[in-house]
Amino acid sequence: MSTIEAAAENAHDAHGHDHDHPSFLAHHFDTPEQQFDSGKLGIWLFLVTEILFFSGMFCAYAIFRMLRPDVFEGCSQFLNTKLGAINTGVLLFSSLTMAWAVRCSQTRQNKGLVAMLASTLSCAMIFLGVKAIEYSHKWEMGLLPAGLFTFDQNNPHPETDTHYLFYICLPFMFLLAGVVLWLIISLVRGNEFHVKCAKPLTVVAICFFVGIGLGMILESGDSSHSEEEGLEEEVMMAEAVELGNESVLQKISRDDTNSGAKSELIARARQSDTAGTSIVQEGQIISGAIVSVEEDVMTKRQAGVFFSIYYCMTGVHAIHILFGIGFLVWLLVRAVREDFNPQYFGPVDYVGLYWHLVDLIWIYLFPLLYLIR
Amino acid sequence: MSAGSIPSGNQIKDPGYPTSSENYLTNSKGALSWLLTLDHKRIGVMYLIGVMTAFFGAGLLALLIRLHLFRPEGAVFSGPEANNWYNQVFTLHGAIMVFLFIIPSIPAALGNFLVPVMLGAKDVAFPRLNLSSFYLWVAGALFFIAALLASRLDTGWTFYTPYSTTTDTSVILATSGAFILGFSSIFTGLNFIVTINTMRPPGMTWFRMPLFLWATYATSIIQVLATPVLGITLLLLIAEKVMHIGIFDPEFNGDPVTFQHFFWFYSHPAVYIMILPAFGVISDLISVHSHKRIFGYRFIAYSSIAIALLGFLVWGHHMFTSGMGPLTTIIFSALTFTVSVPSAIKVFNWLATMYKGSISLTTPMCFAISFIFLFTIGGLTGLHLGTLATDMHLHDTYFVVAHFHYVMVGGTLVAFLGALFHWWPKMFGKMYNETGGRISALVIFLGFNLTFLPQFVLGSRGMPRRYATYDPEFQTLHQVSTYGTLLLGVGLLISLVVLLRSLYKGERAPANPWGGATLEWQCTSPPPFYNFDRPPLVGDPYDFSDIFWDSENERYVTIEPDRKIAPVEQPEPVHAEGNH
Amino acid sequence: MFANLTSSMFVLGDYTSSDYAWFPENASTFATDNDWLFAVISIVCVLFFVPIAGALFYFAYKYQKPKGTPAESNTAHNTPLELAWSIGPSFFLVGMFIFGAKAYLDHRTVPDGANDIGLQAFSWGWTFNYGGGMYNPELHILLDEPTKLSMRSTDVIHSVFVPAFRAKKDVVPGRYNYMWFKPTVASEKVSDEVLQQAIDATEAAGGSWDFDRWQFTQDGYRFFDLFCTEYCGKNHSNMQTVVVVHETLEDLNAWIDQYSKRDPKMDPAKYGQTLYENRGCKGCHSLDGSKVVGPSFNQSYGNQRPFADGSGLVADENYLRESILYPKAKIVAGYKPVMPSYKGQLSDDDVYSLVEFLKTVSMYNKDAADENSAGVDPEDQGDEEEKAEAPAE
Repeated sequence: MSTIEAAAENAHDAHGHDHDHPSFLAHHFDTPEQQFDSGKLGIWLFLVTEILFFSGMFCAYAIFRMLRPDVFEGCSQFLNTKLGAINTGVLLFSSLTMAWAVRCSQTRQNKGLVAMLASTLSCAMIFLGVKAIEYSHKWEMGLLPAGLFTFDQNNPHPETDTHYLFYICLPFMFLLAGVVLWLIISLVRGNEFHVKCAKPLTVVAICFFVGIGLGMILESGDSSHSEEEGLEEEVMMAEAVELGNESVLQKISRDDTNSGAKSELIARARQSDTAGTSIVQEGQIISGAIVSVEEDVMTKRQAGVFFSIYYCMTGVHAIHILFGIGFLVWLLVRAVREDFNPQYFGPVDYVGLYWHLVDLIWIYLFPLLYLIR
Repeated sequence: MSAGSIPSGNQIKDPGYPTSSENYLTNSKGALSWLLTLDHKRIGVMYLIGVMTAFFGAGLLALLIRLHLFRPEGAVFSGPEANNWYNQVFTLHGAIMVFLFIIPSIPAALGNFLVPVMLGAKDVAFPRLNLSSFYLWVAGALFFIAALLASRLDTGWTFYTPYSTTTDTSVILATSGAFILGFSSIFTGLNFIVTINTMRPPGMTWFRMPLFLWATYATSIIQVLATPVLGITLLLLIAEKVMHIGIFDPEFNGDPVTFQHFFWFYSHPAVYIMILPAFGVISDLISVHSHKRIFGYRFIAYSSIAIALLGFLVWGHHMFTSGMGPLTTIIFSALTFTVSVPSAIKVFNWLATMYKGSISLTTPMCFAISFIFLFTIGGLTGLHLGTLATDMHLHDTYFVVAHFHYVMVGGTLVAFLGALFHWWPKMFGKMYNETGGRISALVIFLGFNLTFLPQFVLGSRGMPRRYATYDPEFQTLHQVSTYGTLLLGVGLLISLVVLLRSLYKGERAPANPWGGATLEWQCTSPPPFYNFDRPPLVGDPYDFSDIFWDSENERYVTIEPDRKIAPVEQPEPVHAEGNH
Repeated sequence: MFANLTSSMFVLGDYTSSDYAWFPENASTFATDNDWLFAVISIVCVLFFVPIAGALFYFAYKYQKPKGTPAESNTAHNTPLELAWSIGPSFFLVGMFIFGAKAYLDHRTVPDGANDIGLQAFSWGWTFNYGGGMYNPELHILLDEPTKLSMRSTDVIHSVFVPAFRAKKDVVPGRYNYMWFKPTVASEKVSDEVLQQAIDATEAAGGSWDFDRWQFTQDGYRFFDLFCTEYCGKNHSNMQTVVVVHETLEDLNAWIDQYSKRDPKMDPAKYGQTLYENRGCKGCHSLDGSKVVGPSFNQSYGNQRPFADGSGLVADENYLRESILYPKAKIVAGYKPVMPSYKGQLSDDDVYSLVEFLKTVSMYNKDAADENSAGVDPEDQGDEEEKAEAPAE
């Protein structure tokens, strides 16, 4: 590597460009503006390729939804709208902080820049935490891509020895441990730069578990435990009313991820308190309709393909979030190093654009997958 | 003025020869200075070595294919696994040629070397990205080698489902390789687009760009827009293979034809990734060696862009027999015919450029003439395939094989060789043996025609492609084709020997051995590592009026009246205007 | 080798002496249209190509100048000329497109009353369904009668191509594709004696008779080739069958009756062997114990079969029957579930014959089987000796 740098320096010396070349300006550019324009055009082109990359999956989605609208409606019930919504909110907020970070870099507010980047990163981590809850839950239920699909609606929660959530969390635990260790070591050594980097990153790493916690609370009903217990009792009561003729709605609602079905059931239970037994018949009529769809839908050939598309789209999106996290960490370190100034803020801008795109794709994914009903 | 005379009283402009500390080949030493270089020229040379190696390997596989087909029952492979061997050989031949050779040949290897120099820039816009593209290419190649070593590949380079999802061979390794190569291609394209858009020096307006740059620009657009779709398709294919996601698998309600749509949405434009740079090369070669202004510059430039855009609309013509609706099929046929127009325009323009020129039959010119001949055949036989009724008979027969080899080999490979001979003195600073070069061009031309002309007849007689064994009535033509391959191989070997020999025994090349007017001829051969001392003075790339033959020193020189000397200080805002 | 070279140089001889200079025989209504259109396009191509190539070489010769000579002309462009050669060829293109599309629509429009024959493609073979439980790997059709093929595939994509008919269509799993054609040339039939004479004569001359080379089926019909043109794996190039065009319906029916079902007097095991050879079993299942794609048949009947899910069972008639009709129900350990279902491709009697055939080739305890040659209760899945059944009932 040294030879190249030497060569580059050599180039400057030999041609007298170094006198007007600031350190951030690459030797083959003439002006900072030219460098910025190149980067900007480059990142926009890259975003175009990203959109085309996702467009393949959107096409697959469109084709299958056109062919099998019932499958998509039936299966999207298994996606927890609340988790999706909170993730949408988190990402939107992160877009705001990212835009703010770009502003900070343009106005030489370094502290603000670091804070904003750290908030963006934290949001990304919360997003992943919530996603981890969603994924692990579906894996436990066997709601997997077509080839691995094992979901059985009579037994939606099979006993498994695999703790998917634990395995997903494992790398993040190591990450957290590593960052904390880094923080401690740099605190002990008194290396200010390292402390400045490690501090926000520790917060960021913790945020993944905040996301996990948030996801757990949300997916297990509304908010508190006592309420949930009460809810379960009500569900039991409703079942008892039906005298063993269990409605599918109840089956679905027993699945914790189905907040929608559950809330409908609560509503019905409350209604039945006031209106007596009429609700049961109504429920049966509705359940009959759902049963026919259910029997068609919840098979490998049908629901499996929906979940294939779900995992492909959200999975590739999550990979993009991971890459974004990588870029943001790099920016954070550079921001701590105070690399950016009003003449040179390109990297923050470019990563910002990338981040907005990733958010935007989620904004499309959320209604397309979660809000079909 | 008489031939060879230099008008007196003017200043001769010639950069002379580079010193070894300036020469990009020698200015820093050691393997690392090459492997970690950010210099676009060195990256270009590394690409060149890479793609030539891939070409050599895939060429040997082609030879095996042809030798096997010497007899109806198969001459090379025997035993119960004979057909499997043949299938693996033709698959690897196709996959390596397409993904590792043709797509990166002109755009990545020559493009990397030439784009910044022709443009008058110091480097591409993102040198680190450029190096990473090269290493992505290497990684992709390693994946293909891994596939070869694991359980090989027998799906055909098109990876059609459901065969590719059910076979035992290393489809995952190979598709991962192609996926990575796709990103290499995207990054190269992105780099060139940004370079051409933002790095043009003062005076280099869009219509002063050499046509090679126009072609590269059009190619880059396709690379950036089409390749991501291939990426996601291959990713879905891998997911299909690993988890049975069912999108392409009829067993899970999927549709294999969807895969074909996705695949050809990339792979048809990819055909233009392969041929467009060749158009650019030939435009430059014809003009320089005819010492005459290119005829219809704007038509050629616009037709490149037109081809790039129309190329996105015709993918369905690979699937005329796969069961699309009749209306869709007819629309795709109509669109297919529209693409042939811009290609025809170029052929006529090249001929018009040669008319009343001052032609030097140098090796690159021989290749260029051979290109026009072969590409015209390739293009015209495309009409038989674009016409629906005849395609019902010819689809997936040897007629198709012959057609695309005329375009890919007779077109791209011949143009690549022509370009290599044309810019070889610039790249390595050595002149090769002109007679040897011309002989190789002739042998390649003859060998190529002998190989692939019979295949048109084979196809129209009904010989299906990808057959390891065939009916005896096809034997004679297959044998002619095999002899042709041997001749073609000899021609290619002669080329290789001529070029390699020049590195050791060749004479030192002057800055401008052919009399070109584009910017790369204004710097020394080989160029200095910084390309240009200061932003070069950009003139018309096809104006040969002030270039004269200096018979004393066997070189072309640019003659300029004194008043035309460039001002040392360039006005500041000029290059910003260049963006318009 | 050298003789080959010489003969290949005289390839032009083919074009004067042979019927099929550029094309195989013209044997359907499509062929005439196709050949005419092909000729027209080729002529247009030649009309363009000859002047281009001529100008190319002429200019290269005529304007070759010593180095340093300036070009005679430096015309940069000539817009009318360029527009002319941009727009001019388009008229030819429009013509080609229209004629091509018209003829294509013909390919896609099946006439009313076409004979419908089912086609099932599998790796690597074809089954034609003539209706009424008649299945055969050969396509036999009637002269001057439009025939429609309704095609499906049980595994990967295949493609039906009959060069003599100039017709082609992919067979895609998961959907039905169709194609049709109307043959215009009847297949010549030679009597068994003549055929035998020809075979004897060839063998007497030291050669071996090759039905494929002389384009005759075993029963003496001259045939047209039917190829698979979509790459489908190992034996893609062997995935060929024959098309025979009969002159009369009686002739066709007689042929179908003779070859598509077992003569009641025929030994089922013998007929089973014919099915084994003709219907694609042979491609994946050996008789000598070697492992190809599927398990060898010499360890089928009467042997303990270990399954991929860990269970196992002694192969009996029911198991064999199930494996033919629902191959994915039980997968033998070490093999992939790739066999297509033969449900709807074999009549009941065909399956019976195949099972009988398997019994004769399977290497189980033959001696014991001979001793207990009494019939057996199919529900009895116990001892393998008891299950043995006489090859012929």
